[in-house]
Amino acid sequence: MRKSNNRQAQQNQQMFVVSNLSTRSLREQRFGWALVFPSVFVILALILYPVIYNIYLSFFEFKLTGGNIFVGLKNYIGVLTDSEFLVALRFTLMYVVFSTAGTTLLGLGVALVMNKKFFLRGLVRSLILLPYVAPVISVVFSWQFIFDPVNGIFMDIFHEKLGLFAERFSLIGSPQTAIWVAILFGIWKNFPFTYLMILSRLQAIDETLYEAAEVDGANGWQKFKSITLPELYFVISALVLLRVIWNFNKFEEVYLLTSNVKVLSVYTYLKAFTGTMNLGQGATLAVLQFVILVGFILFYVKKVLKW
Amino acid sequence: MKRTVFMIALLIILTSVTVIFAQGQVAVETTPTGPVTIDFWTTETQSDRMATIQVLIDTFSALNPDITVNLVPVDENDLVVQAQTAYATKSLPALFEAPAETAVSFGTQGISDIATTTKLIEKIGKDRFYSGPLKVLETTGKGSYYALPYHGWIQGIWYRSDWFEAAGLEPPTTWDNILKAAKYFYKPEQNQYGILVGTLPEAYTEQCFTPIAMSNGAALFDASKHLVFNSPKMKEAIEFYAELAKYNPPGPQTWRARDYYMQGKMAMFFYSTYIMDDLALQEAAMGSLTGDNFKDLVGADFNPDLVNNTGVASIVTNTSSAGYGTVVALGLFKQDDPAKTAAAQKFLEYLFTPNAYITFLHMAPGGMNPMLKEIATNTRFQNDPTGTFKRYGKEKMAEIINGLENIETFSIVGGNRIEAASEITAKQILPQMLYKVTQENMNVTDAMAWAEAEMKKLIK
Repeated sequence: MRKSNNRQAQQNQQMFVVSNLSTRSLREQRFGWALVFPSVFVILALILYPVIYNIYLSFFEFKLTGGNIFVGLKNYIGVLTDSEFLVALRFTLMYVVFSTAGTTLLGLGVALVMNKKFFLRGLVRSLILLPYVAPVISVVFSWQFIFDPVNGIFMDIFHEKLGLFAERFSLIGSPQTAIWVAILFGIWKNFPFTYLMILSRLQAIDETLYEAAEVDGANGWQKFKSITLPELYFVISALVLLRVIWNFNKFEEVYLLTSNVKVLSVYTYLKAFTGTMNLGQGATLAVLQFVILVGFILFYVKKVLKW
Repeated sequence: MKRTVFMIALLIILTSVTVIFAQGQVAVETTPTGPVTIDFWTTETQSDRMATIQVLIDTFSALNPDITVNLVPVDENDLVVQAQTAYATKSLPALFEAPAETAVSFGTQGISDIATTTKLIEKIGKDRFYSGPLKVLETTGKGSYYALPYHGWIQGIWYRSDWFEAAGLEPPTTWDNILKAAKYFYKPEQNQYGILVGTLPEAYTEQCFTPIAMSNGAALFDASKHLVFNSPKMKEAIEFYAELAKYNPPGPQTWRARDYYMQGKMAMFFYSTYIMDDLALQEAAMGSLTGDNFKDLVGADFNPDLVNNTGVASIVTNTSSAGYGTVVALGLFKQDDPAKTAAAQKFLEYLFTPNAYITFLHMAPGGMNPMLKEIATNTRFQNDPTGTFKRYGKEKMAEIINGLENIETFSIVGGNRIEAASEITAKQILPQMLYKVTQENMNVTDAMAWAEAEMKKLIK
């Protein structure tokens, strides 16, 4: 009798512990949720909501004065059959490919040079950052002045002094040539970031690797190919990915400098906010841009970064 | 312990949520007598002009300590976009300055406070205004107004009268004379250009194009409000404009290229009477930048005679004659808070008092002309700080101000205001079309078809 009483008490105690444990873990779970709630809320409100609202808008004919009309896929059909969209896509691809290649190669080259010891290296290293830290609007104005067809120094040198061009023309004016000025500007403005990242990785490469290679009789190119480049592989591919994302969405540099190079972001702005203001198609363009970019990122991460 | 932390976290979230929701109500509860802050969008974005307006605001605030006026510069070309986004976020300012066409476009979208505006015009006195500018801002159902006319300018072709004389050319008043001179003076190998017409998709381009189209009898609408844009007359005007653009400086151009004229690299350019004080400033600048002070200074020489060697043709003639000008208006956007409207009204009344008005107009003598008849004859107004009145003479200035009475725009046909035309101007469809023709080499027929389709989107 006493034995069974004891067992009973033991069982009761066990049950109490279990139930106590479960209420405690439940409470802790709730507490955990309460702690993450503010950040989840902010992320949902500031990131997810605009994205979803934009996708929602792309199916409507949007009126700022209220009363949106559901139009199904009409916006998408309208955009995809618009020849200007294809032109914008072509300009964007050109801009992304050439400016990304340019910033990466120039950044790599400069980083390699800056990794060697020379007089006043510290000063030169920091001066190179100047284009990257200068405000876009101020450098844009000086670039515009350089390429001014009547008073600019570019025409003065290449037409007046050297006679390379038969007549003065506006390099920034025509979309065909302006895209190249925009690419050049993008490279000049953004290569310091690439250079900075590559340089910091270069400095972390173990010297003994080069010493070992020298013992094996490797020349400069072989050392670069077999040691430097593999060591830099991930930093360069990450930089390329970031640069593609940034340049694909680039607006201010292109728009302020040229205003008539219609890359996708500029075309979206013009479509949505100027002239007859088609915000529905603007939203559609933004969705398409998003889809293209996400598609590229997924492919790149799998194939190049091999995650 | 954990419970306390949990409670604190909950409390913080709850209070923040309450505060967010409570904010919506605070505005409603404001009493009209308390301090009130209003925004004033101005298109005078240059820093010196903003400084002048700020002085007026400071004076007003000293007299009305309860009212704070925030001056916000908005580029003329961005007004429509800014207003649309401000409307969507319910942050429209109480007061705005805008070209008449834009003000009308705001009115037809139902975002302007027409009732208060009309009351205000009646309070100031309809008879005191010039009737022409008032008509530009009148609603179709007569008697109400979209905004108050405040200042205005007329446009002309400014040209080197000495060059024209030496070449034996007639002043650029007719299509033939303009084209002949543009061709004659176009010498790109010497870095000299014939004319400046706008080719970028901006307001300036439409300002240059309007008198060309109107002097050929081309219109956007007929008197019964039917779109008649796609006409042979309009096509002729566009073709002529594109021909003129060939004698422009290279690349797409806007009003900034008037600097080439100052440097003696251009023979003619379309510009408003705003250039009058720029020419005067040129002279003032020359006074300080002589060769004595800066012996090593190279670059374009200042031409002391430029003011005297500049002529102006304010009327273009082909099959008919046309002048062009713009009325700039002050308007009120609808506000949820009546205190803001009341404050804006008070500030507007202040801006129409003679001293404030004249100070405002003196920011750009010649460019800013009064809309109240009595100000035009006011001796203090005629005695402007840059001496523009003295240089051009009272008669010439009176002619300019009177020119405002006969402003012709696409939006008034046979004395009737056509709102859709203002909408077309505000959305810059014509400049976009002209850009396509002159810069993207689209053929005129296709460009016109494109423009017509865009216009129909607005009219439907």
